[in-house]
Amino acid sequence: MEKENNRVRDIPRRKFLEMSFKGGILIATTPALLTQLVSCSKGVKASSSLDIDPAILSKAIAKALEKGGDFADVYLENRISRQIIMEESKFRSGLYGISQGAGVRVISGNKTGYAYTDEITEEKLLRAAEVASYVATSGNKVTPAGISVSSRPSFVTVQQPLGEIADEKRIEIIRRADQAAKDYDTRIKMTKIDYNDEVRSRVILNSEGVYLKDELPLLFFIVQAMSDDGKARHMSRERLSRHSGFEIFEQVTPETVAKNAAREAIAMLAAGDAPAGIMDVVMQNGWGGVLVHEAVGHPLEADNIAKGIGAFTGKMGQKVAADCFTMIDDGTIPNARGTINFDDEGTVAQRNVLIEKGVLKGFMTDVLSAKQLSMARTGNGRRESFRYIPIPRMTNTFIDTGKDTPEDILASTKKGIYVQSLSGGSVNPVTGVFNFTCREAYLIENGKKTSPIKGATLIGSCMDVISNIDAVGNDLDFGPGICGKGQAAEVTAGMPTVRIRGINVGGSKA
Amino acid sequence: MNYMELTEKLVKKCISLGADAAEVYLETGRNLSVQVLNSEIETIEEASSQGVGFRVFTGGRMGFSHCNDFSDLSLEDTISRAIGFAKLSTPDENNVLTDNKGITRVADLYDPGISSEPMDKKIKMALELERLAMKSPGISKSSGAGYSEGESEIFISNSNGILKSYKSTGCSLGVSVVAEKGDQKNTGDEYCSRVFFSDLLPLEKIASSASARAIELIDPVMISTQKAAVIFDPDVVRSLFGGIISALDGQRILQGASFLKDFMNKQCASPLVTIVDDGTISRSLGSAPFDGEGVPTRKIILIENGVIKSFIYNSNAAKRAGTVSTGSASRGGFSSLPGIGTHKVYLQPGKYTPDEIIKNTEKGLLLKEVTGYGVDPVTGNFSGGASGLWIVDGKITHPVKGVTIAGKAPDILNSIDMTGNDIDMNRSFSAPTVRVAGMQIGGK
Repeated sequence: MEKENNRVRDIPRRKFLEMSFKGGILIATTPALLTQLVSCSKGVKASSSLDIDPAILSKAIAKALEKGGDFADVYLENRISRQIIMEESKFRSGLYGISQGAGVRVISGNKTGYAYTDEITEEKLLRAAEVASYVATSGNKVTPAGISVSSRPSFVTVQQPLGEIADEKRIEIIRRADQAAKDYDTRIKMTKIDYNDEVRSRVILNSEGVYLKDELPLLFFIVQAMSDDGKARHMSRERLSRHSGFEIFEQVTPETVAKNAAREAIAMLAAGDAPAGIMDVVMQNGWGGVLVHEAVGHPLEADNIAKGIGAFTGKMGQKVAADCFTMIDDGTIPNARGTINFDDEGTVAQRNVLIEKGVLKGFMTDVLSAKQLSMARTGNGRRESFRYIPIPRMTNTFIDTGKDTPEDILASTKKGIYVQSLSGGSVNPVTGVFNFTCREAYLIENGKKTSPIKGATLIGSCMDVISNIDAVGNDLDFGPGICGKGQAAEVTAGMPTVRIRGINVGGSKA
Repeated sequence: MNYMELTEKLVKKCISLGADAAEVYLETGRNLSVQVLNSEIETIEEASSQGVGFRVFTGGRMGFSHCNDFSDLSLEDTISRAIGFAKLSTPDENNVLTDNKGITRVADLYDPGISSEPMDKKIKMALELERLAMKSPGISKSSGAGYSEGESEIFISNSNGILKSYKSTGCSLGVSVVAEKGDQKNTGDEYCSRVFFSDLLPLEKIASSASARAIELIDPVMISTQKAAVIFDPDVVRSLFGGIISALDGQRILQGASFLKDFMNKQCASPLVTIVDDGTISRSLGSAPFDGEGVPTRKIILIENGVIKSFIYNSNAAKRAGTVSTGSASRGGFSSLPGIGTHKVYLQPGKYTPDEIIKNTEKGLLLKEVTGYGVDPVTGNFSGGASGLWIVDGKITHPVKGVTIAGKAPDILNSIDMTGNDIDMNRSFSAPTVRVAGMQIGGK
């Protein structure tokens, strides 16, 4: 079995997840995680397989629970995706994809049975239900509740639906970004621009009678810029993503995204070797929140807690972090990349305070772990697609805003590292040992940001890091990412500027 | 359904709908996974699935689309999408399809027996694996054990007249356990993946390796920041060489995005370093008769005695570089464009036993775990979190956790001064123990 590390991936093309599918064996038709970021086709409504008569879904639920079981659900999905790739200022290709299918799940005690099908027909659904029911050989038997059409609030508003946008407009956005990056500095030698949009339609029916339907648009725009001055080279990255229509590019222009990428690429040409050893770290607001996503977020997902092996097992209500540390997972932030309306089990998304002023207040649960721990469902049961079972996942996870100004935090740090942006990181949720890799970082000397340093890995353990945060800024911001935990999920990570005392920095400077 | 015929027919359909040239990549398969925890079944997942990807060219422009619905209507609509999308792309004279009709004969990529092994046996194996791993003194908890298997058949055809297919299987057993002592916790994992069910290692062997890993790092002692030898255990050599392999990607080289771009036929590593990518090894995961574009696989020597001998190319990058494809087109499945990747990479073993390497080390770290991104293929920068065993005067003295290691890939590669004879060719990335004479280690 591959290590149960959880990680937020650097860039889509990195294939960290390929091997993590239940032990790294070759699996037929593993969906290519990245090209699955999809889009909506112009004026064409998704295939009608999702309009299947709910009575057939009810039959599948009944079949799934025939041999027993506590809970069953059917999940139908249709995803229309569009990707346009530009490399070296050339449009390499457009990718268009339609993926649809259904999964049937049975929970019986601690056991889960799952089967899926690419074909949404009565015959295939019943067959999947029968396979899923294999785990329920004895024990409880519930009677499925009648279908009640449920409604959930929506936190996603769209002004310019992706389905109404001409491809030429998408092309124009990419072209503008490429031009802006190249115009920034002659030392920008190449850009790679990856435009993705998708519309995911879901239908959920479960044995509690919950019947839900919705459609989530998602836009993900990534600009990488490579600088080269003949002596050094740096590949930078800037990303923009929201559950949103095309109006996103009026709120944040492609030029802004491209300039941010180009700025980093040029700044890091002067990077020297990073120092090695334990030192103080100031992390800039925004995507740096991946630190707590990894170090604290994953260990607070309730699956490992239910197994009794998670790093925070048995610590509910205890003081686990510094007083200035409050951490929240919120699936309801309007249009944010991690926002979900309701999770893939139909539980309404909500704002969950995980750690409040240093005290552990909550875990993130799905249906199964909530039942195992006798806790409430928090709306964190998510899945990559119909090919995966739902598991507890984060949505928009962040350190809540604090009192310090970012300027004061820096000025009061005599010596250390200033981390402006991170590539990503990973954690072992059992031991809480994490690592993350800097993409843009600087030395701090006498309270000032000085020379840039090359990408160093920062490591530590979650318990230490949240106890050692001693300053939290008032400048909360977020960044988009892809979280991998055997399956991918779109998330944001956020935080204000923070200072952590004593992190081990993996530099090469003697 | 006759998928071979369907694949061929779909190429014709692409042409009749307006493509100048087209490639169809169709995949069908099934998989099964069993997870157990604390002597109970935790999950059973089973499914079969299918999908097809269309790569079309019009006027040198490339478009791509995929779907998993094989109805005529859906297939035709999906093809039209690819053709429509191609119009958005930039014409590229390097957009070519292979006309190589050859197939490399690779024996034993498919085990017909996997699916006929009873489900109960597979569940019992996972349960027994967990039980054996938990038996070791010092192991207090299980994070689960599992068995999984997959079976796939790939069909590829293009308008140059190639039509090929092959079947493959894989199966895997794995376990993860936790050792605890006071407040300390350490996880240990081991897995075994094979093409053939009957080749899976004895459960005892997998179990004892997982528990040994969990236990060996208990009671670590922090070391000070210093430069010392680092001995990479075979399991973690990939953390170093993964990024080196990426840096040999022909597309990267052409884009100037590799720290090895100017090193063809030049010394980039110690003479002890010979790296081979061989997709033709029989009964091996990663092997295949042809690559993701249908080009026959072959054995490629990437680095020989420290000298770079070959970059790796798919058809597009090869044409641009003025060379031929090395059969290295990778494919993340039917839903992705061909990229560039390796099949089965190994680092040539040396003459020393791992014990001899330890005995000859005055001061250093025997590396057991590495975290982080490894070597950055653009800059060659390497930095990671590390744990392992500390060596003084040729003897292991204590475990080490929570340190960092870092360096620049060219320096690291050139200071490899000992390689072991302990290669396990069944790993997806096979390597012996490797010693780097000196690296920066970050500690207290």
